[in-house]
Amino acid sequence: MSEERMKEPSDSVKALWNKDTLAEIDYKATYGKHRIRGCATPRQMPNFDDLMILPGQLTRMPLDTYREDCETRTVLGKRFAKKPLIIETPIMIAGMSYGALSKEAKIALAKASSLVGTVISNGEGGILPEELANSYRQSIQVLASRMGFTKRNLEYADMLEVLYGIGAKPGLSGHLMGSKITEDISKMRQIPVGIDLHSHPRSGDAFGADDMVIKMEQLRELTNWNVPIFAKIAAGRVREDIKIAVKIGVDGIILDGCQAGTGAAPVMAADHLGIPLMPALVQAVMTLEEMGMKDEISLIASGGIRNGADVAKALAIGADAVAIGTGAMVAMGCRVCMKCHTGHCAFGIGTQHEDERKNLDVDAAAERVANYIRGMTAEAVLLAKAAGKSKLKNLEREDLRSLSLETTAMTGIPLVGSDFVLGKGFGFTANNNI
Amino acid sequence: MEHIDAAIIESSKLNLSISNLMKQGIKEITVKNAHSMHNMCVGLTGDALISITDSTGLYTASFLEGPKVVIEGNAGWYAGDDMMDGELIIKNNAGCNVGAYINGGTIVIYGSTGSRVGYGMKGGTILVCGNAGRWAAQMAMGGSLVVIGTVGNLIGESMYRGIVFTQDPDVSAKLGGNVFLDSITEEEKTYLTDLFTKYGVDADPVRFSAIRPALTGRHKYVLFKPELNKFDKKNYQPTKEVEV
Repeated sequence: MSEERMKEPSDSVKALWNKDTLAEIDYKATYGKHRIRGCATPRQMPNFDDLMILPGQLTRMPLDTYREDCETRTVLGKRFAKKPLIIETPIMIAGMSYGALSKEAKIALAKASSLVGTVISNGEGGILPEELANSYRQSIQVLASRMGFTKRNLEYADMLEVLYGIGAKPGLSGHLMGSKITEDISKMRQIPVGIDLHSHPRSGDAFGADDMVIKMEQLRELTNWNVPIFAKIAAGRVREDIKIAVKIGVDGIILDGCQAGTGAAPVMAADHLGIPLMPALVQAVMTLEEMGMKDEISLIASGGIRNGADVAKALAIGADAVAIGTGAMVAMGCRVCMKCHTGHCAFGIGTQHEDERKNLDVDAAAERVANYIRGMTAEAVLLAKAAGKSKLKNLEREDLRSLSLETTAMTGIPLVGSDFVLGKGFGFTANNNI
Repeated sequence: MEHIDAAIIESSKLNLSISNLMKQGIKEITVKNAHSMHNMCVGLTGDALISITDSTGLYTASFLEGPKVVIEGNAGWYAGDDMMDGELIIKNNAGCNVGAYINGGTIVIYGSTGSRVGYGMKGGTILVCGNAGRWAAQMAMGGSLVVIGTVGNLIGESMYRGIVFTQDPDVSAKLGGNVFLDSITEEEKTYLTDLFTKYGVDADPVRFSAIRPALTGRHKYVLFKPELNKFDKKNYQPTKEVEV
C-alpha cells in the first residue's frame, strides 16, 4: 500500500476515556451533582448465561418435550404461614410502584397475573384498587416509607414483603421524580404534587435484627399467621443477611441482585452497589443449607431475569421462584431507553402524562405480559424436560456446569468439560488438585 | 370490668384474650403484670378502655383501631406504630419512634419521649407533654405533633405534610431541613386549646409556633454537603491537626 493511501489510525478510545466517561464528566462539570437514571445498570455483569444445563442422555432419561408433563405449580412461604401462596408458574411479577408506572401499566400487569395464575407485588406507595381487583394473587410490600399503607393492606394481602432493600439501589430508598407526582399519586402517597421524592431509607419501626423479630411477631399476629411473610433484600452481604432473615422468622426471602431495574436511581447506586444475582443466589442457597433451613425458607430470585433459561438455572441453583420486572415492561412495549426518571414514556408505561398513557392498550399489554410469562415458563419446562425432570422444581445444581473459570470460582459449579471446581464447591467435590 | 393477669398468660395469647373480652361486649379491661411485654394490644379493633397497670415493651397498641389504651407506666419503642384510630395514653415516658407511621387516632405521652417521635406519621395527633428527642416528625406525611417541652435537633426534617407545634424558645436553631417556622392560625389555636383541655394539659396555645413543610421547590439534602464553594485562600491557615 502506498503511503498516500494509508489511513491514519483513529486511536479511538475504547477503555477508560471513552465517550460515556467524557459525557459523565461533562454532566458533573455542568451541574455539580450526581446523575439519576431509570431502569437497570447497563454494566456487563456475570449472569446465568455463564452456566449451561446438562441434558439427560444415558445416565438419565429426558422427558418428551411435546408429550409429557412437567409440573410448574409452585408453593411459597410454608415455613410458618397457615396459607402458603400457590401460584401456577414460578414466575412472579415484581414490585413496581404506581407512580413509577402508569395506572394502565399496573392494571395490565395485574390482569396478566390473572391470565397466568401468578402473584403480583404492589411496589411502593400504596395499592391501586384497580390492581387489587385484577390481580390473581396480591403481594403487598411493607416499606420503610409506608406510603399509602394501612391496616387494610394486611387484610387483603396474599403475601407480604417486608422490604429492606432493592437490587437497583441497595442502601438507598425509593426515588420518584417530581414530574411523576401527579394529583392522583400525591393523594395516594400523601405527599405534595411535583415534589422530588426520596423516600424513607430505613424502617421507622424496626431498628435492628432484635426489633425485627418482635416486629415479625406483630405482623404474624395481625395476619393471624395466615399470610406468608417474605423479606426482600438486596444482594450484598448475602450470607449474613440471610442468617438474620431466618432469625427474624420470615417464610421466605426475595433476593434482589444488582441487575434489577427501577424507575429512578442514582447512576452510582445502580452501577456500583450490590452484587449480581447468580453468585448471590448460590451464597443464599449455601447459607440456608448450612443452617438446615433450605426446605423451610422459600427463595425468590430477582434482578435481571429475562427468559426461561434464567428461570431454569435459578431454580437449579436452588430458587423456588423468580420475579420479573423489566422483562414484563419490555413485553408491554418498553424499549429500555432508561429514561423512566424523566416522567416521559412514549409507550405509556413509565409515565403519568395523560396523553402518553393513552398509548398503552391495557388488555393488549396484559395479554403480551401473560404470553411472555407463558413463553418463559415453556422455555424453562423445555430445559427441565431435556434434563429429565417431571417437575420444574426438580432442577438441581448437578444439572449445571460453568462456562468460565470466573463463573466456577463464583458459584462452585464445575467447569464444562473438565469438571474443574475452583474454590469451595457448591455441593460438588473439588477436582482442582490444588 | 375484667382483669387479666399478664404474668400467667403467653404474650401471643394476650391480645386474643383481650379481643375475646371485647367481643363479649366488655368495655373496661385491666391488664396487670405486663412486665414490659412486647406487642401488647396490637391490632385491637372496637370500642373499649384497656388499662395496663405498669410498663410495656415494644410496639404497644400498634395498628390500634378504636380502643383507648392507657399505660400507667412507661412504654417501649415504637408504641402506637401504624395506628389507625383510637387513643393511646402513656402516663410516664416513652422510648423512641413512638407513633411511627400513624394514620389516625391520638397518642398522648405525659412524660418525655426519645428520638423520632411521629416518624413518617400520616395522620392523627401526637401530644408530648414532656420533651421530645431529635428528629421528631421526620419525613411526616400528615397529622400533627404537639410538644409542650423542649424539642431535639433536626425537628421536622424533610416533612412532606403535617404540622409540628412547639413552644421551645430555641426551636429555630433546631429546625431540620426543608421546613420553616411559622406563626399559628386562629383555627390552630382553637385546636390546641381543645386538645389541652381534653387531656388536662397546662399550656397556653398563644405561646406556640408551627413547623410546616416547604411544599414548594425541591428538598435540599445533606448529600450535597459540604458545599465546596466558600473557601478563601487568604484565610487559609495550615495546621498540623485537623479537627473533625
